[in-house]
Amino acid sequence: MIFLSRLRFRTKINLGLTLIVVFTALIIAFFVTSMASEALVDQTRKRGEVLAENLALRAQDPMLSTDLLQLESMVNEVKKADDEIVYAFILDDEERVLASTFNEGFPVQLRKANSSDKSTNIVMVDTGLLKIYDFAASIFISGKKLGTVRIGLSRAGIQSVVQNLMFAIFVLTGAVLLIAVLVSTHFARRMTVRLGKLQKHAVDIVRTHLGPEIYKDSTPDNNLKFYRKFLKGDEIQELTDTFDAMAMNLESHIEDLEVTETNLTRQKELLKTIINVSPDYISLLGPEYTYLAVNKPLAKHLGKTEEEIIGLKDQDLFHAHEAEIRMKESRKVLTSGLIINKETREQDEHDSTVRWFHTIRVPVYSENDSIIGVLSTAREITELKSYQAQLIQSQKMESVGKLAGGVAHEINTPLGIILGYAQLLQDDLSPEDQISQDLKIIEKQARVCRKIVSDLLGFSRQTESEKTEMCFNNSILEVLQLVSHTFKLEQIEIDTVLDERFPIIHGDPEKLKQVWLNLLSNSMEAVNEQGTIQITTHLDIATMTITALFADSGHGVDPQKLGTIFDPFYSTKPVGKGTGLGLSVSFGIIKDHGGTIEAISPLPRSISKGMNLPENSGPGTLFKVVLPLDAISAEEQVVNTGSV
Amino acid sequence: MLKLKFLIPTVLLLLGIALYLRGYGLDENIVKVNMSIREEISVPEPEKAITYAYLPQYSHKVSYQRHNQLIEYLAKETGLTLRQVFPDTFEEHRRMVENGDIDISFSNPMTYIKIANSGAQAFARIIEPSGSPTFRGQIIARQDNRFIHKIKDCRGKSWIAVDPLSAGGYLFALGLFFKQGITADDFKEISFASGPGGKQEKAVLAVYAGKYDFASIREGTLNIVKDKVNISKLKIVAETKRYPSWVYAARKGLDPKIKNSIAKAMFKLSMDNPEQAQILKQAGMRGIIPAQDSDYDSIRKLMAKLGLTKNSHKEWEIKE
Repeated sequence: MIFLSRLRFRTKINLGLTLIVVFTALIIAFFVTSMASEALVDQTRKRGEVLAENLALRAQDPMLSTDLLQLESMVNEVKKADDEIVYAFILDDEERVLASTFNEGFPVQLRKANSSDKSTNIVMVDTGLLKIYDFAASIFISGKKLGTVRIGLSRAGIQSVVQNLMFAIFVLTGAVLLIAVLVSTHFARRMTVRLGKLQKHAVDIVRTHLGPEIYKDSTPDNNLKFYRKFLKGDEIQELTDTFDAMAMNLESHIEDLEVTETNLTRQKELLKTIINVSPDYISLLGPEYTYLAVNKPLAKHLGKTEEEIIGLKDQDLFHAHEAEIRMKESRKVLTSGLIINKETREQDEHDSTVRWFHTIRVPVYSENDSIIGVLSTAREITELKSYQAQLIQSQKMESVGKLAGGVAHEINTPLGIILGYAQLLQDDLSPEDQISQDLKIIEKQARVCRKIVSDLLGFSRQTESEKTEMCFNNSILEVLQLVSHTFKLEQIEIDTVLDERFPIIHGDPEKLKQVWLNLLSNSMEAVNEQGTIQITTHLDIATMTITALFADSGHGVDPQKLGTIFDPFYSTKPVGKGTGLGLSVSFGIIKDHGGTIEAISPLPRSISKGMNLPENSGPGTLFKVVLPLDAISAEEQVVNTGSV
Repeated sequence: MLKLKFLIPTVLLLLGIALYLRGYGLDENIVKVNMSIREEISVPEPEKAITYAYLPQYSHKVSYQRHNQLIEYLAKETGLTLRQVFPDTFEEHRRMVENGDIDISFSNPMTYIKIANSGAQAFARIIEPSGSPTFRGQIIARQDNRFIHKIKDCRGKSWIAVDPLSAGGYLFALGLFFKQGITADDFKEISFASGPGGKQEKAVLAVYAGKYDFASIREGTLNIVKDKVNISKLKIVAETKRYPSWVYAARKGLDPKIKNSIAKAMFKLSMDNPEQAQILKQAGMRGIIPAQDSDYDSIRKLMAKLGLTKNSHKEWEIKE
């Protein structure tokens, strides 16, 4: 078979056709000669039977009349009639020879060679020299056998006819074979030339990147037409044409694919960029709860690269408890298709920083509407939460203020009456009198009450404020002058870094002074002894605000309580030492001026670095007051300072 | 591509089938014969037997067929060995009776008259299929023949007869015409049916076809041809007188015991016995009855009247 496969295609076609022709010819020759021989033998048989039966019929009368001469002449006539008849003879019912064509004695064995009770019987007599069909026909009259007629026909004649037939068939086969080989050679040459061209063309395609250069400018349709003009289109030609067209199409498709690939790559990059640029933590979880994709912020948050995370599960990335929660949520989304929408709180292990996240987990559907994954996005909302807390605080303060204001307003009148009557009664008594002394105490305490009520009214803005243009720095300096003596006694140092542009604001100087006083008083209590307080003012033209920073080196405020220190009656002092209204009143005044006040503890590094802090000082507290500048004053600022 | 391991067996199988088919039926039943071993052949001698001959009015085969069963019956009944012999001509039959080669002769009345002259003696005659021990001739013409109504109308007409020496088919009719004063010369034409066998039928057909005006036939022939022609289109113009039927005669010198034994067996045959009825039917007779030479005097008279006794023997050689 290897030898066969190595042969040239042309040789194979020739060989195949020759084999087919020879094989067919052999089969035909064998069958035809077989059939012809059969027919000839059959014909011979019939002829012999007819001859024998005819002779038997004619011999009836001579046999009955025992006319041996006539019988003799009859058998001799039969023999003369046909060259193929070797002998003829007639036997009586006892198989005695009545007449025969044998002149010199009768062959003894021949007499019993063909005996049968049938009307006719045929045997093949082999004399050694030749073969003879021996026909025996019984002579019957009225069912009684009178004798037998025997005729011998030579087989040589039939054989010679058959041999002639076979010779003719083989000669014809030879001629057909010759013609077939010639035709197949021509056909094979024609075919192999075309195949060769096709093969060469294929080589060209491989070498020159999809097709010969001459086809570059033509369309596939033009190519087909071009070929058909010169070559008759058979299957191979069509194959060649199709091959060319295929190459052209392939090239075109490859170009399209390259363009599509470029587009896809660009889109992929774009999508990746968008996802990575997004500050949110984005991840895609597969049905096996493994990460299929994460964006950069999430990878960074988890402290790994994107490639490291892909293929991992939640338990590989998070603590057991958190991983379990995430798995539960993912399972819920995958199984039920529900969307998880929630806010979570994370606390940093190292610096106890609290971060809030808004997490959404949505199912990802395939084309046949089955869930194949979970897309999670987590957005940090710590700042939002902070604003939310502040808003709540403001609302609370406002409510408390309104309540306190209402109560104070009602209490103010009876307090005035109490104070008036206490003073009136003192007028009636001598100052040394015990009753007078007591009345003074009543008066003093009543005044304290009135102060409290006044503060309450101030906090709730029940008191009217008169806003005028005022110098921000001056209001601070006036308060400093007032308290400097007291602070010195307490060995507390006050540094001032005031903006030299002396910003003018539109506000109530008295109430603002009260604020500064409250803040300084608060700082002094925090510092206790030998501390530092730094006051800084800063004008910001861009935002049209003026900021005052009151930093102290005191014991600071617990960060968790920073949101509550402005609540009314909140105080860290023991009972009787303070009302807890100072900061809340200050909050109300600043709010009344359209500004903000907040407390930061511990001190930011940028502030504490600039302060000359003593050793063993606390973390410190910074109160930041921001007030809006008046529009006119801002312009004046520009005129005054000559800069923006 | 077909693997060689499949191709080769397939080719061989097809060749085998071809060879098998080619050889089939050619060389069966081969018998080896050595042609060199030869012997001289001698003419077989027939065994001694009582010979029986039927006047050859038909071919030997018909003669054999008609009388074979009867001969077998007689041989069985008498215990004698009987053999049928087949003379080729009437004359040969007569001569063989005279020579003693035929012991029992079955012949027509005219032949009997001839052999009786040499000493043969009638001892039995047959009953015709019609039931009568006699038979007669008939003269027939077409029904639509306006010119022939009675026997005398035949004068001057064309006549088709069976054979010049046929009894019922010619001689009886010739006797009838002679009686009416009409001789052979009075007819426009006298023709005889051609060829051997079936002559009676041929004579009827010739009249039916209108080729001849009338025909003379043996009684019973019309019944034989009724399937071939429409006999209602034919009419019987006249019938001859009856003459005794075919006769069995023993040659001169045959042992009377043998003759009697055979006669006795013949007379035993009856149509009532199915087996014997088959034998009789095959032989064309209904029975065999005793006869004597004087029964045939009427024939002798007719022949004398027609002047046939003076004719030489040659005339008798013609078959009926």
